Amino acid sequence: MTRKNVSRIGAWRSAGVRAGMVAPAVLIYAALLVVPVGYAFYYSFTDYNGFPNRVPEFIGLDNYRTMFESHDITGTMVVTAIVAAVGAVAVNLAALGLALLLQKTNRFNTFGRVVMFYPHVLSALVVGFLWQAILGPQGVINTLLEKAGTSSLPFLSDPDGALWSMILVIVWSLFGVQLVLYLAGLQAVPQDLIEAARIDGAGRWGTFRAVTWPSLASTVTVAVITSCISLLKTYDVVVSLTGGGPAGSTKTLAYSILAVSFPQRKIGVASAQAVLLIVAAAIMAITVLVLRRRAENDAESIG
Amino acid sequence: MSRTRGSAATVRVVFVGLASLAMLTPLYILVVNAFKSQREILANPFAIDFSTATFRYLADAWNNPDFSILKGYGITLALVVCVNVLAIMVCAPAAYVLARTPDLVARLLLFFFIAGMFIPTQTVLVPVIFVLRALGLMGTLTGLILFMTATTIPFTLFVFFGYIRMLPRSLDEAAAIDGAGKYYTLWRIILPLMRPILATVFILNSLSVWNDFASPQMILGPGSGIYTVTTGVYAAVGQYSTDYSKVFPTLLLAVIPILVIFVVMQRHIMSGLAAGAVKG
Repeated sequence: MTRKNVSRIGAWRSAGVRAGMVAPAVLIYAALLVVPVGYAFYYSFTDYNGFPNRVPEFIGLDNYRTMFESHDITGTMVVTAIVAAVGAVAVNLAALGLALLLQKTNRFNTFGRVVMFYPHVLSALVVGFLWQAILGPQGVINTLLEKAGTSSLPFLSDPDGALWSMILVIVWSLFGVQLVLYLAGLQAVPQDLIEAARIDGAGRWGTFRAVTWPSLASTVTVAVITSCISLLKTYDVVVSLTGGGPAGSTKTLAYSILAVSFPQRKIGVASAQAVLLIVAAAIMAITVLVLRRRAENDAESIG
Repeated sequence: MSRTRGSAATVRVVFVGLASLAMLTPLYILVVNAFKSQREILANPFAIDFSTATFRYLADAWNNPDFSILKGYGITLALVVCVNVLAIMVCAPAAYVLARTPDLVARLLLFFFIAGMFIPTQTVLVPVIFVLRALGLMGTLTGLILFMTATTIPFTLFVFFGYIRMLPRSLDEAAAIDGAGKYYTLWRIILPLMRPILATVFILNSLSVWNDFASPQMILGPGSGIYTVTTGVYAAVGQYSTDYSKVFPTLLLAVIPILVIFVVMQRHIMSGLAAGAVKG
Protein backbone atom coordinates (compact mmCIF):
# COMPACT_ATOMS: atom_id res chain seq x y z
CA MET A 1 0.00 0.00 0.00
CA THR A 2 2.60 2.55 1.08
CA ARG A 3 4.92 1.36 -1.62
CA LYS A 4 2.24 1.88 -4.22
CA ASN A 5 1.59 5.38 -2.90
CA VAL A 6 5.25 6.28 -3.07
CA SER A 7 5.55 5.13 -6.66
CA ARG A 8 2.42 7.06 -7.56
CA ILE A 9 3.85 10.24 -6.08
CA GLY A 10 7.04 9.53 -8.00
CA ALA A 11 5.10 9.12 -11.23
CA TRP A 12 3.21 12.33 -10.56
CA ARG A 13 6.34 14.24 -9.89
CA SER A 14 8.06 12.93 -12.98
CA ALA A 15 5.02 13.78 -15.13
CA GLY A 16 5.21 17.30 -13.70
CA VAL A 17 8.93 17.51 -14.39
CA ARG A 18 8.39 16.25 -17.91
CA ALA A 19 5.63 18.76 -18.61
CA GLY A 20 7.89 21.47 -17.23
CA MET A 21 10.66 20.45 -19.64
CA VAL A 22 8.40 20.50 -22.68
CA ALA A 23 6.47 23.64 -21.72
CA PRO A 24 8.93 26.41 -22.73
CA ALA A 25 9.30 25.04 -26.27
CA VAL A 26 5.53 24.57 -26.61
CA LEU A 27 4.89 28.06 -25.29
CA ILE A 28 7.23 29.95 -27.64
CA TYR A 29 6.34 27.79 -30.64
CA ALA A 30 2.59 28.05 -30.03
CA ALA A 31 2.52 31.77 -29.23
CA LEU A 32 4.62 32.92 -32.16
CA LEU A 33 4.01 30.33 -34.87
CA VAL A 34 0.82 28.36 -34.25
CA VAL A 35 -1.32 31.24 -32.96
CA PRO A 36 -0.25 33.48 -35.87
CA VAL A 37 -1.22 30.71 -38.32
CA GLY A 38 -4.61 30.63 -36.57
CA TYR A 39 -4.85 34.41 -36.83
CA ALA A 40 -4.02 34.21 -40.54
CA PHE A 41 -7.01 31.88 -41.02
CA TYR A 42 -9.24 34.09 -38.85
CA TYR A 43 -8.28 37.40 -40.50
CA SER A 44 -8.71 35.83 -43.94
CA PHE A 45 -12.48 35.79 -43.28
CA THR A 46 -12.61 39.39 -42.05
CA ASP A 47 -12.33 42.95 -43.23
CA TYR A 48 -9.59 44.56 -41.15
CA ASN A 49 -7.23 47.47 -41.64
CA GLY A 50 -4.91 46.61 -38.78
CA PHE A 51 -5.55 49.65 -36.62
CA PRO A 52 -5.74 48.68 -32.92
CA ASN A 53 -9.00 50.60 -32.39
CA ARG A 54 -10.80 48.72 -35.17
CA VAL A 55 -12.41 45.31 -34.72
CA PRO A 56 -12.05 42.79 -37.58
CA GLU A 57 -15.44 42.49 -39.28
CA PHE A 58 -16.54 39.04 -40.45
CA ILE A 59 -17.15 39.00 -44.23
CA GLY A 60 -17.08 35.27 -45.05
CA LEU A 61 -15.24 34.30 -48.22
CA ASP A 62 -15.07 37.81 -49.68
CA ASN A 63 -11.28 38.06 -49.36
CA TYR A 64 -10.85 34.78 -51.23
CA ARG A 65 -13.21 36.04 -53.93
CA THR A 66 -11.26 39.30 -54.18
CA MET A 67 -8.04 37.36 -54.34
CA PHE A 68 -9.07 35.06 -57.18
CA GLU A 69 -10.77 37.87 -59.12
CA SER A 70 -7.83 40.25 -58.92
CA HIS A 71 -5.57 39.80 -61.95
CA ASP A 72 -2.79 41.30 -59.95
CA ILE A 73 -2.97 38.58 -57.31
CA THR A 74 -3.68 35.62 -59.62
CA GLY A 75 -0.64 36.85 -61.55
CA THR A 76 1.47 36.48 -58.40
CA MET A 77 0.18 32.91 -58.01
CA VAL A 78 1.28 32.07 -61.54
CA VAL A 79 4.68 33.64 -60.98
CA THR A 80 5.11 31.74 -57.69
CA ALA A 81 4.10 28.46 -59.36
CA ILE A 82 6.55 29.02 -62.23
CA VAL A 83 9.37 29.95 -59.86
CA ALA A 84 8.68 26.91 -57.66
CA ALA A 85 8.27 24.40 -60.50
CA VAL A 86 10.98 25.57 -62.91
CA GLY A 87 13.29 26.48 -60.04
CA ALA A 88 12.91 23.11 -58.32
CA VAL A 89 13.59 21.18 -61.53
CA ALA A 90 16.60 23.34 -62.40
CA VAL A 91 18.02 23.30 -58.86
CA ASN A 92 17.73 19.53 -58.55
CA LEU A 93 19.06 18.76 -62.04
CA ALA A 94 22.04 21.05 -61.54
CA ALA A 95 22.68 19.70 -58.06
CA LEU A 96 22.38 16.03 -59.00
CA GLY A 97 24.45 16.47 -62.17
CA LEU A 98 27.26 18.24 -60.36
CA ALA A 99 27.09 15.82 -57.44
CA LEU A 100 27.73 12.95 -59.87
CA LEU A 101 30.70 14.84 -61.30
CA LEU A 102 32.11 15.86 -57.91
CA GLN A 103 31.48 12.70 -55.91
CA LYS A 104 35.08 11.46 -55.70
CA THR A 105 36.94 13.17 -52.88
CA ASN A 106 40.03 14.95 -54.12
CA ARG A 107 41.36 18.47 -53.92
CA PHE A 108 39.86 19.64 -57.21
CA ASN A 109 36.40 18.32 -56.28
CA THR A 110 36.53 19.78 -52.77
CA PHE A 111 37.30 23.14 -54.33
CA GLY A 112 34.43 22.64 -56.77
CA ARG A 113 31.99 21.85 -53.96
CA VAL A 114 32.96 24.93 -51.97
CA VAL A 115 32.60 27.12 -55.05
CA MET A 116 29.16 25.71 -55.86
CA PHE A 117 27.99 26.13 -52.27
CA TYR A 118 29.27 29.56 -51.27
CA PRO A 119 26.31 31.64 -52.62
CA HIS A 120 24.10 29.89 -50.07
CA VAL A 121 25.87 31.58 -47.15
CA LEU A 122 25.19 35.02 -48.65
CA SER A 123 21.86 36.56 -47.79
CA ALA A 124 19.32 36.44 -50.62
CA LEU A 125 18.91 40.20 -50.31
CA VAL A 126 22.59 40.84 -51.01
CA VAL A 127 22.55 38.29 -53.84
CA GLY A 128 19.66 40.20 -55.44
CA PHE A 129 21.42 43.57 -55.18
CA LEU A 130 24.63 42.08 -56.56
CA TRP A 131 22.91 40.57 -59.60
CA GLN A 132 20.91 43.76 -60.09
CA ALA A 133 24.24 45.57 -60.44
CA ILE A 134 25.36 42.95 -62.97
CA LEU A 135 22.18 42.46 -65.03
CA GLY A 136 20.39 45.78 -64.58
CA PRO A 137 19.73 48.21 -67.45
CA GLN A 138 22.83 50.19 -66.42
CA GLY A 139 24.55 47.15 -64.99
CA VAL A 140 27.92 45.65 -65.71
CA ILE A 141 26.93 43.48 -68.68
CA ASN A 142 24.81 46.06 -70.46
CA THR A 143 27.49 48.71 -70.07
CA LEU A 144 29.96 46.37 -71.72
CA LEU A 145 27.51 45.54 -74.52
CA GLU A 146 26.87 49.21 -75.22
CA LYS A 147 30.58 49.86 -75.37
CA ALA A 148 31.00 47.01 -77.83
CA GLY A 149 28.40 48.71 -79.98
CA THR A 150 25.71 46.06 -79.67
CA SER A 151 22.30 46.81 -78.21
CA SER A 152 21.75 46.07 -74.54
CA LEU A 153 19.92 42.98 -73.35
CA PRO A 154 16.73 43.42 -71.30
CA PHE A 155 17.62 41.00 -68.48
CA LEU A 156 15.57 42.92 -65.95
CA SER A 157 13.67 45.46 -68.05
CA ASP A 158 11.53 43.04 -70.05
CA PRO A 159 8.78 41.06 -68.24
CA ASP A 160 9.83 37.62 -69.51
CA GLY A 161 13.51 38.39 -69.29
CA ALA A 162 13.13 39.54 -65.69
CA LEU A 163 11.31 36.39 -64.63
CA TRP A 164 13.90 34.08 -66.20
CA SER A 165 16.77 36.18 -64.87
CA MET A 166 15.28 35.98 -61.40
CA ILE A 167 14.91 32.20 -61.62
CA LEU A 168 18.52 31.96 -62.81
CA VAL A 169 19.71 34.04 -59.86
CA ILE A 170 17.69 31.95 -57.40
CA VAL A 171 19.03 28.70 -58.84
CA TRP A 172 22.59 30.09 -58.70
CA SER A 173 22.23 30.95 -55.04
CA LEU A 174 20.25 27.89 -53.94
CA PHE A 175 21.47 24.71 -55.57
CA GLY A 176 24.56 24.34 -53.38
CA VAL A 177 22.39 23.02 -50.54
CA GLN A 178 20.85 20.35 -52.73
CA LEU A 179 24.31 19.53 -54.11
CA VAL A 180 25.50 18.78 -50.58
CA LEU A 181 22.42 16.62 -49.97
CA TYR A 182 23.01 14.62 -53.15
CA LEU A 183 26.71 14.19 -52.33
CA ALA A 184 25.75 12.75 -48.96
CA GLY A 185 23.16 10.52 -50.62
CA LEU A 186 25.66 9.25 -53.18
CA GLN A 187 28.01 8.13 -50.43
CA ALA A 188 25.30 5.82 -49.16
CA VAL A 189 24.85 4.09 -52.53
CA PRO A 190 26.14 0.52 -52.06
CA GLN A 191 29.43 0.22 -53.97
CA ASP A 192 29.11 -3.56 -54.41
CA LEU A 193 25.85 -3.07 -56.32
CA ILE A 194 27.56 -0.59 -58.65
CA GLU A 195 30.42 -3.00 -59.23
CA ALA A 196 27.99 -5.85 -59.80
CA ALA A 197 26.18 -3.76 -62.42
CA ARG A 198 29.50 -2.93 -64.12
CA ILE A 199 30.48 -6.59 -64.20
CA ASP A 200 27.09 -7.41 -65.69
CA GLY A 201 28.04 -5.04 -68.51
CA ALA A 202 25.88 -2.03 -67.61
CA GLY A 203 27.13 1.30 -68.94
CA ARG A 204 27.26 4.52 -66.96
CA TRP A 205 23.65 5.37 -67.74
CA GLY A 206 22.44 1.84 -67.07
CA THR A 207 24.21 1.76 -63.71
CA PHE A 208 22.78 5.13 -62.81
CA ARG A 209 19.22 4.10 -63.67
CA ALA A 210 19.27 0.65 -62.13
CA VAL A 211 21.37 1.26 -59.00
CA THR A 212 22.20 4.87 -58.18
CA TRP A 213 18.82 6.50 -58.84
CA PRO A 214 16.71 4.02 -56.80
CA SER A 215 19.17 4.17 -53.89
CA LEU A 216 18.90 7.96 -53.92
CA ALA A 217 15.11 7.88 -53.49
CA SER A 218 14.95 9.37 -50.00
CA THR A 219 17.63 11.95 -50.81
CA VAL A 220 15.69 13.07 -53.86
CA THR A 221 12.58 13.52 -51.70
CA VAL A 222 14.36 15.62 -49.11
CA ALA A 223 16.11 17.70 -51.77
CA VAL A 224 12.89 18.32 -53.71
CA ILE A 225 10.85 19.25 -50.62
CA THR A 226 13.48 21.61 -49.24
CA SER A 227 13.98 23.31 -52.61
CA CYS A 228 10.24 23.64 -53.29
CA ILE A 229 9.50 25.15 -49.91
CA SER A 230 12.33 27.64 -50.09
CA LEU A 231 11.24 28.59 -53.63
CA LEU A 232 7.59 29.02 -52.59
CA LYS A 233 8.56 31.73 -50.11
CA THR A 234 10.76 33.69 -52.52
CA TYR A 235 10.73 37.23 -51.21
CA ASP A 236 14.16 38.77 -50.51
CA VAL A 237 15.46 38.34 -54.06
CA VAL A 238 12.35 40.00 -55.48
CA VAL A 239 12.84 43.00 -53.19
CA SER A 240 16.46 43.55 -54.17
CA LEU A 241 16.63 42.28 -57.76
CA THR A 242 13.47 43.51 -59.46
CA GLY A 243 11.12 45.08 -56.91
CA GLY A 244 8.42 42.88 -58.45
CA GLY A 245 8.61 44.57 -61.83
CA PRO A 246 8.54 45.25 -64.65
CA ALA A 247 4.73 45.30 -64.78
CA GLY A 248 4.44 42.83 -61.88
CA SER A 249 6.15 40.08 -63.89
CA THR A 250 8.31 38.96 -60.96
CA LYS A 251 5.88 39.59 -58.12
CA THR A 252 5.63 36.42 -56.02
CA LEU A 253 2.87 35.63 -53.57
CA ALA A 254 5.13 36.26 -50.56
CA TYR A 255 6.19 39.61 -52.04
CA SER A 256 2.57 40.52 -52.67
CA ILE A 257 1.67 39.74 -49.04
CA LEU A 258 4.48 41.68 -47.41
CA ALA A 259 5.10 44.49 -49.90
CA VAL A 260 1.66 45.13 -51.41
CA SER A 261 -1.33 43.96 -49.36
CA PHE A 262 0.16 44.68 -45.93
CA PRO A 263 1.35 48.24 -46.65
CA GLN A 264 -2.10 48.90 -48.19
CA ARG A 265 -3.54 47.78 -44.84
CA LYS A 266 -5.56 45.00 -46.47
CA ILE A 267 -4.96 42.57 -43.63
CA GLY A 268 -7.85 40.33 -44.73
CA VAL A 269 -6.53 39.89 -48.27
CA ALA A 270 -2.94 39.48 -47.05
CA SER A 271 -4.15 36.74 -44.71
CA ALA A 272 -6.10 34.97 -47.46
CA GLN A 273 -2.91 34.98 -49.55
CA ALA A 274 -0.97 33.64 -46.59
CA VAL A 275 -3.50 30.83 -46.13
CA LEU A 276 -3.14 29.94 -49.80
CA LEU A 277 0.64 29.75 -49.44
CA ILE A 278 0.39 27.62 -46.28
CA VAL A 279 -2.01 25.24 -48.03
CA ALA A 280 0.26 25.05 -51.09
CA ALA A 281 3.28 24.24 -48.91
CA ALA A 282 1.30 21.61 -47.00
CA ILE A 283 -0.01 19.94 -50.17
CA MET A 284 3.48 19.89 -51.62
CA ALA A 285 5.01 18.40 -48.49
CA ILE A 286 2.32 15.72 -48.20
CA THR A 287 2.48 14.80 -51.90
CA VAL A 288 6.22 14.42 -51.84
CA LEU A 289 6.11 12.42 -48.61
CA VAL A 290 3.56 10.01 -50.11
CA LEU A 291 5.66 9.64 -53.27
CA ARG A 292 8.71 9.11 -51.09
CA ARG A 293 7.13 6.22 -49.27
CA ARG A 294 6.35 4.60 -52.61
CA ALA A 295 9.85 5.21 -53.97
CA GLU A 296 11.40 3.87 -50.79
CA ASN A 297 9.40 0.70 -51.08
CA ASP A 298 10.78 0.31 -54.60
CA ALA A 299 14.28 0.93 -53.31
CA GLU A 300 13.87 -1.71 -50.63
CA SER A 301 12.90 -4.25 -53.25
CA ILE A 302 16.30 -3.89 -54.94
CA GLY A 303 18.34 -3.48 -51.73
CA MET B 1 39.46 1.96 -72.89
CA SER B 2 41.91 3.98 -70.87
CA ARG B 3 41.93 6.61 -73.60
CA THR B 4 38.15 7.10 -73.49
CA ARG B 5 38.31 7.22 -69.71
CA GLY B 6 41.06 9.84 -69.94
CA SER B 7 39.09 12.04 -72.29
CA ALA B 8 35.95 11.66 -70.17
CA ALA B 9 37.96 12.85 -67.18
CA THR B 10 39.21 15.83 -69.19
CA VAL B 11 35.67 16.75 -70.19
CA ARG B 12 34.62 16.48 -66.55
CA VAL B 13 37.45 18.73 -65.34
CA VAL B 14 36.78 21.29 -68.07
CA PHE B 15 33.07 21.30 -67.33
CA VAL B 16 33.50 21.67 -63.57
CA GLY B 17 36.12 24.33 -64.19
CA LEU B 18 33.75 26.36 -66.37
CA ALA B 19 30.90 25.95 -63.89
CA SER B 20 33.19 27.11 -61.06
CA LEU B 21 34.17 30.13 -63.12
CA ALA B 22 30.50 30.98 -63.66
CA MET B 23 29.83 30.64 -59.93
CA LEU B 24 32.78 32.83 -58.94
CA THR B 25 32.36 35.63 -61.49
CA PRO B 26 29.75 37.59 -59.47
CA LEU B 27 31.99 37.43 -56.38
CA TYR B 28 34.95 38.61 -58.45
CA ILE B 29 32.91 41.53 -59.78
CA LEU B 30 31.82 42.39 -56.23
CA VAL B 31 35.36 42.40 -54.83
CA VAL B 32 37.10 44.14 -57.71
CA ASN B 33 34.60 46.96 -58.07
CA ALA B 34 34.54 47.79 -54.37
CA PHE B 35 37.88 49.58 -54.90
CA LYS B 36 36.95 51.62 -57.99
CA SER B 37 35.19 54.86 -58.85
CA GLN B 38 31.86 54.89 -60.67
CA ARG B 39 33.63 55.96 -63.89
CA GLU B 40 36.15 53.13 -63.66
CA ILE B 41 33.44 50.59 -62.86
CA LEU B 42 31.46 51.55 -65.93
CA ALA B 43 34.60 51.74 -68.10
CA ASN B 44 35.63 48.18 -67.34
CA PRO B 45 33.89 46.23 -64.62
CA PHE B 46 36.14 43.18 -64.94
CA ALA B 47 39.57 44.75 -64.64
CA ILE B 48 41.29 46.33 -61.68
CA ASP B 49 44.02 48.91 -62.03
CA PHE B 50 46.09 48.67 -58.86
CA SER B 51 47.54 52.15 -59.36
CA THR B 52 44.10 53.78 -58.94
CA ALA B 53 42.49 51.22 -56.63
CA THR B 54 41.49 52.83 -53.36
CA PHE B 55 39.95 52.01 -50.01
CA ARG B 56 38.09 55.32 -50.11
CA TYR B 57 34.77 53.84 -51.17
CA LEU B 58 34.93 51.07 -48.60
CA ALA B 59 35.67 53.70 -45.96
CA ASP B 60 32.73 55.78 -47.16
CA ALA B 61 30.41 52.78 -46.94
CA TRP B 62 31.77 51.96 -43.49
CA ASN B 63 31.12 55.55 -42.33
CA ASN B 64 27.70 55.82 -43.95
CA PRO B 65 25.74 58.22 -41.73
CA ASP B 66 22.41 56.47 -42.49
CA PHE B 67 23.56 53.00 -41.51
CA SER B 68 26.46 52.07 -39.26
CA ILE B 69 27.60 48.71 -40.55
CA LEU B 70 29.53 48.04 -37.34
CA LYS B 71 26.33 48.44 -35.34
CA GLY B 72 24.59 46.20 -37.88
CA TYR B 73 27.20 43.48 -37.30
CA GLY B 74 26.78 43.89 -33.53
CA ILE B 75 23.00 43.64 -33.55
CA THR B 76 22.95 40.71 -35.98
CA LEU B 77 25.58 38.89 -33.95
CA ALA B 78 23.55 39.46 -30.77
CA LEU B 79 20.50 38.03 -32.56
CA VAL B 80 22.47 34.96 -33.67
CA VAL B 81 23.74 34.30 -30.14
CA CYS B 82 20.41 34.89 -28.38
CA VAL B 83 18.36 32.81 -30.83
CA ASN B 84 20.82 29.92 -30.64
CA VAL B 85 21.03 29.92 -26.85
CA LEU B 86 17.28 30.20 -26.43
CA ALA B 87 16.48 27.58 -29.08
CA ILE B 88 18.91 25.07 -27.54
CA MET B 89 17.70 25.82 -24.01
CA VAL B 90 14.05 25.15 -24.82
CA CYS B 91 14.49 22.41 -27.45
CA ALA B 92 16.97 20.16 -25.66
CA PRO B 93 14.68 19.43 -22.66
CA ALA B 94 11.60 19.08 -24.86
CA ALA B 95 13.34 16.75 -27.31
CA TYR B 96 14.79 14.74 -24.41
CA VAL B 97 11.36 14.17 -22.87
CA LEU B 98 9.73 13.35 -26.21
CA ALA B 99 12.52 10.93 -27.15
CA ARG B 100 12.26 9.10 -23.80
CA THR B 101 8.45 8.98 -23.57
CA PRO B 102 7.04 6.52 -26.08
CA ASP B 103 3.33 7.30 -25.49
CA LEU B 104 0.67 8.77 -27.75
CA VAL B 105 0.79 12.28 -26.29
CA ALA B 106 4.51 12.49 -27.02
CA ARG B 107 3.99 11.27 -30.59
CA LEU B 108 1.28 13.87 -31.18
CA LEU B 109 3.42 16.63 -29.69
CA LEU B 110 6.31 15.66 -31.94
CA PHE B 111 4.03 15.79 -34.96
CA PHE B 112 2.70 19.16 -33.78
CA PHE B 113 6.26 20.52 -33.76
CA ILE B 114 7.36 18.94 -37.05
CA ALA B 115 4.35 20.37 -38.89
CA GLY B 116 5.90 23.79 -38.27
CA MET B 117 8.81 22.95 -40.59
CA PHE B 118 6.49 23.26 -43.57
CA ILE B 119 5.09 26.68 -42.69
CA PRO B 120 6.70 29.36 -44.87
CA THR B 121 7.87 32.05 -42.40
CA GLN B 122 6.70 34.89 -44.62
CA THR B 123 3.08 33.79 -44.28
CA VAL B 124 2.96 34.32 -40.52
CA LEU B 125 4.81 37.64 -40.43
CA VAL B 126 1.66 39.75 -40.81
CA PRO B 127 -0.34 38.04 -38.02
CA VAL B 128 2.80 37.86 -35.85
CA ILE B 129 2.86 41.64 -35.86
CA PHE B 130 -0.54 41.65 -34.13
CA VAL B 131 0.51 38.99 -31.61
CA LEU B 132 3.68 40.92 -30.76
CA ARG B 133 1.73 44.16 -30.53
CA ALA B 134 -0.64 42.51 -28.03
CA LEU B 135 2.37 41.35 -26.01
CA GLY B 136 3.94 44.82 -26.19
CA LEU B 137 6.98 43.42 -28.01
CA MET B 138 6.43 44.90 -31.48
CA GLY B 139 9.44 46.81 -32.77
CA THR B 140 11.74 45.36 -30.10
CA LEU B 141 14.71 43.04 -30.31
CA THR B 142 13.10 40.77 -27.70
CA GLY B 143 10.10 40.28 -29.97
CA LEU B 144 12.34 39.54 -32.95
CA ILE B 145 14.44 37.07 -30.94
CA LEU B 146 11.34 35.24 -29.71
CA PHE B 147 9.86 35.03 -33.21
CA MET B 148 13.11 33.84 -34.79
CA THR B 149 13.45 31.25 -32.02
CA ALA B 150 9.91 30.04 -32.71
CA THR B 151 10.77 29.54 -36.39
CA THR B 152 13.89 27.52 -35.54
CA ILE B 153 12.14 25.29 -32.97
CA PRO B 154 10.60 22.72 -35.37
CA PHE B 155 13.90 21.86 -37.07
CA THR B 156 16.01 22.07 -33.91
CA LEU B 157 13.64 19.90 -31.91
CA PHE B 158 13.32 17.36 -34.70
CA VAL B 159 17.05 16.78 -35.14
CA PHE B 160 17.61 16.75 -31.37
CA PHE B 161 14.85 14.16 -31.04
CA GLY B 162 16.43 11.96 -33.69
CA TYR B 163 19.84 12.22 -32.04
CA ILE B 164 18.76 11.62 -28.43
CA ARG B 165 16.77 8.58 -29.47
CA MET B 166 20.01 6.98 -30.66
CA LEU B 167 21.71 7.51 -27.28
CA PRO B 168 21.35 4.43 -25.06
CA ARG B 169 18.74 4.62 -22.30
CA SER B 170 21.12 2.87 -19.92
CA LEU B 171 22.85 6.26 -19.53
CA ASP B 172 19.67 7.74 -18.03
CA GLU B 173 19.10 4.72 -15.85
CA ALA B 174 22.64 4.78 -14.48
CA ALA B 175 22.26 8.48 -13.70
CA ALA B 176 18.87 7.90 -12.06
CA ILE B 177 20.30 5.17 -9.83
CA ASP B 178 23.00 7.60 -8.75
CA GLY B 179 20.19 9.94 -7.76
CA ALA B 180 20.49 12.45 -10.62
CA GLY B 181 17.33 14.37 -11.55
CA LYS B 182 16.10 14.73 -15.12
CA TYR B 183 17.60 18.20 -15.60
CA TYR B 184 20.94 17.12 -14.20
CA THR B 185 20.99 14.07 -16.48
CA LEU B 186 20.13 16.20 -19.50
CA TRP B 187 22.62 19.03 -19.00
CA ARG B 188 25.50 16.96 -17.58
CA ILE B 189 25.22 13.64 -19.39
CA ILE B 190 23.06 13.89 -22.51
CA LEU B 191 24.00 17.35 -23.76
CA PRO B 192 27.77 16.78 -23.82
CA LEU B 193 27.14 13.70 -25.98
CA MET B 194 25.12 15.83 -28.39
CA ARG B 195 28.08 17.98 -29.41
CA PRO B 196 28.03 17.03 -33.14
CA ILE B 197 24.34 17.75 -33.54
CA LEU B 198 24.63 20.94 -31.47
CA ALA B 199 27.29 22.13 -33.91
CA THR B 200 25.05 21.34 -36.87
CA VAL B 201 22.06 23.12 -35.38
CA PHE B 202 24.19 26.09 -34.36
CA ILE B 203 25.59 26.49 -37.88
CA LEU B 204 22.26 26.17 -39.68
CA ASN B 205 20.31 28.41 -37.31
CA SER B 206 23.08 31.01 -37.32
CA LEU B 207 23.07 31.13 -41.12
CA SER B 208 19.32 31.59 -41.30
CA VAL B 209 19.25 34.25 -38.57
CA TRP B 210 22.20 36.17 -40.02
CA ASN B 211 20.70 36.22 -43.51
CA ASP B 212 17.06 36.80 -42.59
CA PHE B 213 15.65 39.96 -44.07
CA ALA B 214 11.85 39.67 -43.96
CA SER B 215 11.55 39.15 -40.18
CA PRO B 216 13.69 42.11 -39.03
CA GLN B 217 12.17 44.26 -41.78
CA MET B 218 8.61 43.58 -40.62
CA ILE B 219 9.11 43.25 -36.86
CA LEU B 220 11.70 45.96 -36.21
CA GLY B 221 10.54 48.25 -39.01
CA PRO B 222 12.30 51.48 -39.98
CA GLY B 223 10.66 53.31 -37.06
CA SER B 224 12.61 51.39 -34.41
CA GLY B 225 15.97 52.65 -35.70
CA ILE B 226 17.44 49.17 -35.12
CA TYR B 227 19.12 47.76 -38.23
CA THR B 228 20.50 44.29 -38.83
CA VAL B 229 23.04 43.77 -41.60
CA THR B 230 20.33 42.93 -44.14
CA THR B 231 17.83 45.68 -43.30
CA GLY B 232 20.74 48.13 -43.08
CA VAL B 233 21.97 47.14 -46.54
CA TYR B 234 18.43 47.59 -47.80
CA ALA B 235 18.24 51.06 -46.27
CA ALA B 236 21.69 52.03 -47.58
CA VAL B 237 21.61 50.52 -51.08
CA GLY B 238 17.90 50.54 -51.89
CA GLN B 239 17.65 54.11 -53.05
CA TYR B 240 21.12 54.46 -54.63
CA SER B 241 21.11 51.33 -56.69
CA THR B 242 22.88 52.84 -59.72
CA ASP B 243 25.63 54.53 -57.72
CA TYR B 244 27.89 51.50 -57.98
CA SER B 245 30.72 53.10 -56.01
CA LYS B 246 28.30 52.87 -53.10
CA VAL B 247 26.58 49.56 -53.96
CA PHE B 248 29.64 47.32 -54.31
CA PRO B 249 31.51 48.45 -51.16
CA THR B 250 28.37 48.22 -49.02
CA LEU B 251 27.55 44.73 -50.29
CA LEU B 252 31.15 43.62 -49.82
CA LEU B 253 31.16 44.81 -46.21
CA ALA B 254 27.87 42.99 -45.65
CA VAL B 255 29.16 39.61 -46.88
CA ILE B 256 32.79 39.65 -45.72
CA PRO B 257 32.26 38.25 -42.19
CA ILE B 258 30.10 35.36 -43.34
CA LEU B 259 32.38 34.56 -46.29
CA VAL B 260 35.45 34.48 -44.04
CA ILE B 261 33.66 32.23 -41.57
CA PHE B 262 32.52 30.01 -44.42
CA VAL B 263 35.99 29.65 -45.92
CA VAL B 264 37.50 28.83 -42.53
CA MET B 265 34.77 26.38 -41.52
CA GLN B 266 33.53 25.17 -44.91
CA ARG B 267 33.98 21.51 -44.13
CA HIS B 268 31.95 21.72 -40.91
CA ILE B 269 29.26 23.85 -42.49
CA MET B 270 28.75 21.59 -45.50
CA SER B 271 28.88 18.30 -43.61
CA GLY B 272 26.67 19.72 -40.86
CA LEU B 273 24.13 20.67 -43.45
CA ALA B 274 24.13 17.22 -45.00
CA ALA B 275 23.82 15.56 -41.57
CA GLY B 276 20.97 17.83 -40.57
CA ALA B 277 18.90 17.33 -43.69
CA VAL B 278 19.46 13.68 -44.47
CA LYS B 279 18.30 12.60 -41.02
CA GLY B 280 14.82 13.74 -42.07
